[in-house]
Amino acid sequence: MFFDFLIVGLSIGIVYGIVALGISLIYSGLDIVHFAHGEIFMLGAFIGLVLFNTVGLPYPVALIMAMIATAVIGVVIERVFYRRLTRSGGGYTVAGMGMIIVGFGMAIILQNIAFLAWGATSFGYDPIYGPPVDLGGISLPRSYLWIMVVAITLMTILNFFLKHTKLGLAVRAVAANKEIASLMGINVPVMISVIFGVACALGAAGGVLIGPINFVSVEMGYLMLIKAFSAAVIGGFGSLPGAILGGLIVGVAETFGAAYISGSHKDIYAFILLILVLMIRPSGIMGVIVKVKA
Amino acid sequence: MLEIKGVESGYGKLKILRGINMSVPKGSIVSLLGGNGTGKSTLLKAISRLLPVWAGEILFDGEPIHNLKPHEIVRRGLVQVTQSKDAYPGMTVEDNLKVGAFSRSDKAGIRQDLERVYALFPVLKQRLKQMSGTLSGGEVQMLVIGRGLMARPKMIMLDEPSSALAPKVVFDIFRVINMIRKEMNMTILLVEQNVRMALLLSDYGYVIRDGVIHIEGKASEMIDDDNLRQSYLGGTVADTNVAALS
Repeated sequence: MFFDFLIVGLSIGIVYGIVALGISLIYSGLDIVHFAHGEIFMLGAFIGLVLFNTVGLPYPVALIMAMIATAVIGVVIERVFYRRLTRSGGGYTVAGMGMIIVGFGMAIILQNIAFLAWGATSFGYDPIYGPPVDLGGISLPRSYLWIMVVAITLMTILNFFLKHTKLGLAVRAVAANKEIASLMGINVPVMISVIFGVACALGAAGGVLIGPINFVSVEMGYLMLIKAFSAAVIGGFGSLPGAILGGLIVGVAETFGAAYISGSHKDIYAFILLILVLMIRPSGIMGVIVKVKA
Repeated sequence: MLEIKGVESGYGKLKILRGINMSVPKGSIVSLLGGNGTGKSTLLKAISRLLPVWAGEILFDGEPIHNLKPHEIVRRGLVQVTQSKDAYPGMTVEDNLKVGAFSRSDKAGIRQDLERVYALFPVLKQRLKQMSGTLSGGEVQMLVIGRGLMARPKMIMLDEPSSALAPKVVFDIFRVINMIRKEMNMTILLVEQNVRMALLLSDYGYVIRDGVIHIEGKASEMIDDDNLRQSYLGGTVADTNVAALS
């Protein structure tokens, strides 16, 4: 049973990690915490559901299409609503508090839009995978395996994009310092859209991945936001590897807690962990220590 | 090459520049001198369009650039070399240099320019994979100059390349600036507080105070004007031999 729980925990955790990655990416790039990211995750899950159940696209195609669609929605939201707040000058860093409030507002709006479209019922993805795989005594549902494979693929692609492409280099430059980036000839407003789009695509991927093992409902975003947020903080806020690590820790702790301590308190463990990490190591496990020498 | 006519600019509602007139001819080094808080950096920011230009016009190669976006100005070939504290400390030396070439897509040319920067600053080649935050002050200054050159500019604007450096290192940096002018036929706007060093290198000098150009003249004449240096620029820096620079 132990290994079963471990695998379930890791695959749930990696979904937290993927969503946390988006939150961390927006934070490291734009210096704001995006509180509507849970709803972006929910939207992605619904778009994937429609594409897969109703339109009948194959699951991988539905995943990619949902990511693209959600990225576009995210870019539009950022362009039309969030960027307005930066007009008074100083960019995203200065607009901080207003940005947090707008994020909460956007979360409520997106939730209600989803409610109008899909109502209060929970939906499930149609069965996708065949019978469980037998791994020497452990019977493993294929969906968990697929979550792992897809999530690891996405992380590899993101890592390659950031470390080895010109656009990724520009994203890192914009994240580090927007003013200097524009002096390097980088079109900073476009890069901000890229960062936002990629982060929202990751959120959508989390939603489509968790769809087959959980129900999809209008309120799913809120819990995901606080868990992914906890994951990001536990791993070290703003650190991308930290977000994944934090996600895995939260997922495993939650699953083991539910299995061995109390199943009805499943959602508490993430926050106990969060409090512990903040008490012992406030910068998180992989908190960024910037070495600067004048 | 760069013409600044009656430029006014500032932060928010606070006006800093009150009508600046300057001209930087092709192939020359022109110094902009002044103490802290006189408007030197504000002028650079206005030229690079990090700040809006409220009035007046800026012409580069005969074309107005004061309505362009910052990245478009870089594409035109006018590049501001940032202060050394503005290297990306969390990026490797190599990535820093590559960011400098972001506006270009000619891979062969970029590789060629990388080699040219290594030739100019051999120490950077030894430190390619190191985070730039671990470099010494002089090395970071070399890095930001190299990064600026990676855009293959027609003209560079240097923002206080000597700030916070040891006198010996300052000398090295100025020697490289002189080399860049000679070997690449670069046009340079040099913003400095190190008056004597800057004037030794320059063809022409401007002194800015309270957002207005107070004095201008040939560098060779300004350098001997003790009165001017004392009254507008504060203390003097140890004398340097002109011949040693070239």
